[in-house]
Amino acid sequence: MLAFSKISYPYKFLLIFLVSNIINSQNYYLYVASESDDTVSLLKFDGKYIEEKERISVGIYPTEIEGPHGITIDPNGKYWYLTLAHGNPYGKLLKYSTQTNEVIDETTLGLFPASMQISKVTGFLYCVNFNLHGNMKPSTVSVVDAETMTEITQIKTGSMPHGSRVSNDGLKQYSVAMMSGELFEIDALSLNVSRKLSLDNHSKMDHSKMDHSKMDHSKMDHSKMDHDKINISKMVHSEIKPTWVIPHPKENFLYIAGNGSDEIIEVDIDKWKISKRIKAEKGPYNVEISPDGKYMLATLKSSGYTAIWNLKNGSLINKIKNSTSVPHGIAISADSKFAFVSVEGIGGEPGIVDVIDLNKKTLVDNVKIGKQAGGIAFWKKEP
Amino acid sequence: MKNKLIILLSLSFITIGFSQDRTIISDLENLTLDVGQVFKPNSKVINFDGSQGDCERLIYYNKKGVFSSAKSIIFDRSKGTLKANDPGTHEIVAVCINSGGKRLTKTFYVNVNYPKVKEVKLSLSDDNIFVGNYIPLVYEITDELNTKRIIDYWSYDVASKYFSEVEVSLTSSNDKIQIDKSNNILALEEGSSSVVATFDGISGMIDLKIKKNPVAKLILKSDADKSRSGDVINFDAIAYNKKGEEIDDINVDFSFTGKSFDKSNSASGLILEDGRFVGDVPGKYIISAKVGNVTTSKIVNIFPRNVKREIKKVGTGLVNDKHTSDFWVFEGDDGRDYAVTGTWGADGKAYFWDVTNPGNLKKIDSVQVDARTVNDVKVSQNGKICVISREGASNRKNGMILIDVTNPRDVKIISEYTKNLTGGVHNVFIDNNHVYALSNGERYYIINIDDPYNPKEVGMFEVGKEGQSIHDVWIEDGIAYSSNWRDGVYLVDVGNGIVGGSPSNPVAFGNYSYATGAHHATFPYKSSSTGKFYTVLGDEIFPNGVNPNGTNETAGFLHFVDFTDLNNPVEVARYELPTHGSHNYWIEDDILYVAMYTGGIRIVDISGDLLGDLYKQGREIGYLLTGSPDGYIPNDTMVWGTQLYKGHVFYSDFNTGLGAAKVSQEKPDNSKTNQYLD
Repeated sequence: MLAFSKISYPYKFLLIFLVSNIINSQNYYLYVASESDDTVSLLKFDGKYIEEKERISVGIYPTEIEGPHGITIDPNGKYWYLTLAHGNPYGKLLKYSTQTNEVIDETTLGLFPASMQISKVTGFLYCVNFNLHGNMKPSTVSVVDAETMTEITQIKTGSMPHGSRVSNDGLKQYSVAMMSGELFEIDALSLNVSRKLSLDNHSKMDHSKMDHSKMDHSKMDHSKMDHDKINISKMVHSEIKPTWVIPHPKENFLYIAGNGSDEIIEVDIDKWKISKRIKAEKGPYNVEISPDGKYMLATLKSSGYTAIWNLKNGSLINKIKNSTSVPHGIAISADSKFAFVSVEGIGGEPGIVDVIDLNKKTLVDNVKIGKQAGGIAFWKKEP
Repeated sequence: MKNKLIILLSLSFITIGFSQDRTIISDLENLTLDVGQVFKPNSKVINFDGSQGDCERLIYYNKKGVFSSAKSIIFDRSKGTLKANDPGTHEIVAVCINSGGKRLTKTFYVNVNYPKVKEVKLSLSDDNIFVGNYIPLVYEITDELNTKRIIDYWSYDVASKYFSEVEVSLTSSNDKIQIDKSNNILALEEGSSSVVATFDGISGMIDLKIKKNPVAKLILKSDADKSRSGDVINFDAIAYNKKGEEIDDINVDFSFTGKSFDKSNSASGLILEDGRFVGDVPGKYIISAKVGNVTTSKIVNIFPRNVKREIKKVGTGLVNDKHTSDFWVFEGDDGRDYAVTGTWGADGKAYFWDVTNPGNLKKIDSVQVDARTVNDVKVSQNGKICVISREGASNRKNGMILIDVTNPRDVKIISEYTKNLTGGVHNVFIDNNHVYALSNGERYYIINIDDPYNPKEVGMFEVGKEGQSIHDVWIEDGIAYSSNWRDGVYLVDVGNGIVGGSPSNPVAFGNYSYATGAHHATFPYKSSSTGKFYTVLGDEIFPNGVNPNGTNETAGFLHFVDFTDLNNPVEVARYELPTHGSHNYWIEDDILYVAMYTGGIRIVDISGDLLGDLYKQGREIGYLLTGSPDGYIPNDTMVWGTQLYKGHVFYSDFNTGLGAAKVSQEKPDNSKTNQYLD
């Protein structure tokens, strides 16, 4: 065998360079759902270039758009799960093998099932029934045993729940109700709502402008008011319009996209109070935090940008113009090096996935996929 | 303890899956409950060395899920109890999560007893029992929860299901009747007898009086001695006594046998209890009438229907850069003929065509809206306003778009309307000054367009059931026919006046649904030849889901429902094309023009009374496969819909766009079909 010391220097450098490249070269894989094409794309990023490895058709009716919306991968990486928003009328949850990308099982959920995540403790999948286009009434979170694909229960939360994410210890599930402006915490074991928090900034209500002098209480016949019939939930229309919630990977904070109030709201989990409101540009939609806890990213749906914040001090580091309009979801690689952003596009435009280098804070590549790219999930990193 | 659990869980690296060295034992094992019984399960984990294992939390669930149809066993997790609601065997899953975050599951089979039978009543659908007749016994079984099950003579599938769950026996008091192994009862001798039926130890009895058959002679009459396949022949059996007197009100059993003229084919047909007979296949058929031990028969010859005609493709308006959806042909303000086509899963375009010369379909204008799918398009009766549906709008508001088509060469968008329609509009209909637009696949809204720049919602209709779902709505003579999947067709007065309805006050007055629940489209049809009123209800089924790389398998058929008596709709016939499923269709002058997706356009003679399997009856006039080598998916026929307009059959195809065909008066040229055929 040739001793390393006997190799001449130019060859030593070349060898070191090659070995180092092999060691450092990583491939990243992710799945992205295209809501208006009824397809899911399996993407591979090699650190420089992203490509579509496979496009998987999903759904049951070839002549109806069934709207794949939410996508998630189980903690072991063996299966990916997809929600189909539109059914007759209930949507579905489908379970696919990551090995074959073939359907393994399915179950029916509620109206417009959307985002979801699996708890590594219970093995249950918690999926919000967004009921995006329905009446303004409380909807539910479906709890599904991902092993048997059985919907165990539906837990009532708020109006248009979205952004289902599970705490790192797997014991709590968080979602926000877009129209009623509430944050919900579900106990992953007891399957009950354990806490809820109104996110609207009530201090902004200007009561001073109400002219109470013109109100003639003497003419109000309170005896005819049937308080039992007043549905408070119908009366709430949040200004915040929260669309996403994500727990910090290491600390006891939640971060919520205030789509209507153009802000990211930080909630202290221990105190169950809003601890900070971080100003964002118009229409933050999805929020993601790098696994190392350094960066927070949010898609700014209305302006077509993805913003990156330093999470320690809350400062905006950069705002990156996406490759097309309507940025939607974010997935960050497990090594916190890259963020992948799904961008919907409009009409006949293809959906696009943008890759952002989190060290350089720049867009490094993109790939066109099916129309209205939305739900996005990071699968694995491998050499 | 809870904090300890959380700390342990958060520190552990957790694996999901069944552990091989532990198991759950529970008093759910071999548990039997009664309906309504509440039970608190007691379960624990046992290690294989016999010691008790760690189980911080136990969660139970019913493997049928929580969907509205699966409430057979429900849980009250705050009390840790379950309640049995439906009889049968149910799978209950116990999930144990230990303090290390490991999951262990086991499925237990819990049996819920059928409620005990409380009462059995027997009755007869016909009191006249004559020697030689089978006795049409009807069982009415009431259980302890006062659930009543009525099993009649012709519903043995229901009986069989129930009989498999409870012990049943039939006995007779003497040999004047004979009970076979399938519990059929034959009257053998004149006189009195009785039958005792015992269900789970509870008996019911009926006394039978078996009469001497008063019939000495039966004469079978029919309104035809020969006919074509598919034509209904009405048989009437007249019974006479020994004195030659006619006997009124006596039940006659009709049956038939037959032999096809084509030796390689089987005779088939249908005869109803009222004597209506239809032969599907040309051949010789022997129709029999029977009262007790007196029978008679009559032979009829069924000849080929002979309706085949040449179908010629006349013109094509090729759209091959995207999928095409629905279409509508209309007479324009200038007296020329035009069409509009939608697009599917594309860029939100709708195309306008001059179709005055069906042999030269010309694309003359288009509109593009913020949508991915323009699934449906319709034009007002005066040819001035077009409405198109939107799905996949980037702002998710969807809704519908009104377009001024007074000059189809220069169409102009008038307004966008999204109120209550943000869930996507799949189908629309325009009837004079109102648009009927589906909302989120759940209901339809009625929108006044007197001022098309400011459409105004005036009404809404929904079935009002949990899980309601709608696919289409069609208006004719002030009646809205909505197609509601498992809830079937709803007939709603929106201005007809039959029940005082109007667009702002839609009132339902008729409904019919069927078992498969695949009801996707409705076409109301009054038969020119018989005056009968039908609703033709179409399925949409993709049995194998989506095949993106080739032809999609389709299934389902058209159900012909005789709605002449609005309170008693009866499904009388079907049109089912083997291996191809139905989509949209048109009926005019007793001819059906149906888009059978992958099976192409099928043109079917539906004249005369309709009974049984219309496809088998040789009623097909002709067909046209609409795929093209230049199609979006080449050579892949996927015809979406049809419309008969001024003598031409217009159609849209998912892969080829717009087309026009003509039903020729000539018979097809079969000279090259098979040299050995006549």
